[in-house]
Amino acid sequence: MEELIFLYTRYVPEFIEGTKTTLWLTGISLLVGFIIGLPIALARIYGGGWIRKLVIGYVEVFRGTPLLVQLFIIYYGLPEFGITLSQTASAIVSLGLNSAAYQAEYFRGAIQAIDSGQIIAARAVGMSHIKAIRYVVLPQAFRLVIPAWSNEAIGLLKASAVVFLIAMPDLMAKAKIIAGRYFSPIESYLAVAVAYILLVLFLSIFLSFVERRVKIPGLEIETAR
Amino acid sequence: MKAPIIKAEGIYKAYGEVEVLKGVSLNVNESEVVVIIGPSGTGKSTLLRCLNLLIKPDRGRIWLNDIEISAPYFNSNRVREQVGMVFQDFNLFNHLTALDNISIALRKVLHMKVAEAKERSLQELNNVNLLDKKDLYPSQLSGGQKQRVAIARALALDPQVMLFDEPTSALDPELIGEVLEAMKTLAEKGMTMIVVTHEMGFAREVANRIIFMEHGNIVEEGSPNEMFLHPQILRTREFLWKITELYGKHENK
Repeated sequence: MEELIFLYTRYVPEFIEGTKTTLWLTGISLLVGFIIGLPIALARIYGGGWIRKLVIGYVEVFRGTPLLVQLFIIYYGLPEFGITLSQTASAIVSLGLNSAAYQAEYFRGAIQAIDSGQIIAARAVGMSHIKAIRYVVLPQAFRLVIPAWSNEAIGLLKASAVVFLIAMPDLMAKAKIIAGRYFSPIESYLAVAVAYILLVLFLSIFLSFVERRVKIPGLEIETAR
Repeated sequence: MKAPIIKAEGIYKAYGEVEVLKGVSLNVNESEVVVIIGPSGTGKSTLLRCLNLLIKPDRGRIWLNDIEISAPYFNSNRVREQVGMVFQDFNLFNHLTALDNISIALRKVLHMKVAEAKERSLQELNNVNLLDKKDLYPSQLSGGQKQRVAIARALALDPQVMLFDEPTSALDPELIGEVLEAMKTLAEKGMTMIVVTHEMGFAREVANRIIFMEHGNIVEEGSPNEMFLHPQILRTREFLWKITELYGKHENK
């Protein structure tokens, strides 16, 4: 027990460093995933022919392979083709591309849940298809997607732990270092587990808050009571 | 003789094997109120949606004010600024208040300034007697209120023609009246209207011309008197008899 307390007090700065890395890595990857994922969702719903096939292929590949495999291919495999990325770049690229595939499917679900009458009405008042999507469909889709997207955000936060395998100094990496130094793996990993739980908790609370703030009466998926 | 404000010639539309419109031709003059009646699934809605190019007919030509809007490279978005539409299911934008439902097209399509759009929207909302509901969301409005907001939304763009696709079919009987009143007022102001409806009372009172459609064709058309009192074609007579029997409450005249 004293060792636990010793760990926590002595290594708080290290934990904070690791947490910072985990947080900004997750944040940037979520952003990358969003920037790539939303257009993919739109392409899949509204695109034709080969565009659709292409994006479906992308989603299947990145959902169908483990994140760890994708990470290793990007960090260890790409150099064989002449593309050498730093650890940070590799981490962001693989987390981002992976997240994009999942986010694309969540957005697709939310967009398709919106009644087709909404687009028809938007076009009936003179909006182009693009304006209809931008001003009528997406604002509603963003509210509908929050529960699923929160899932992805939380998932990515935890999945980001794999980057320690390419020596990124994240929370998980710190745990390993500390465990190695003091030969007390159980205390070290438990402490890190608690740290992750706390991070996820704060993230969940924040996302619930956002959901409530942007809520519009009547704009929910109907649930029977 | 002034040209008809809307002219449609030979409109043909099929979905795969199913022929929905089999060569429909139609002229509507300015300030005319044309009511289209007929059994469900006979192409009435499809015809309406062809007139504002929401649906592209497979064959046929359409003119708005002598401009051929069915021409291949014509900008169909501009057409819908001139031809407004009201739907059976209202289709109000769920994420916007009543006021914003009206102003969004003014701002994003006509590029009106925010203040001007707001003023215009308040005016239109007032015209349908819903000014006090301006900050409510569609889910907080009754069906009749939603439809009146939808009418205000379409009118805000100052269209030349208004299309109504069974505007009262999804409403409680008690709420139908307020919507029909709004439409009647609009007709009295001289708006050109094409209305698909089952409301025979409205047809008889407000329509200048009634068109009976079935199986993708116009079966018969004429003034309300001609159609209700002296229908020439058997099928028209059958349909009207059935409908007036069903909607007997409008027959107390």
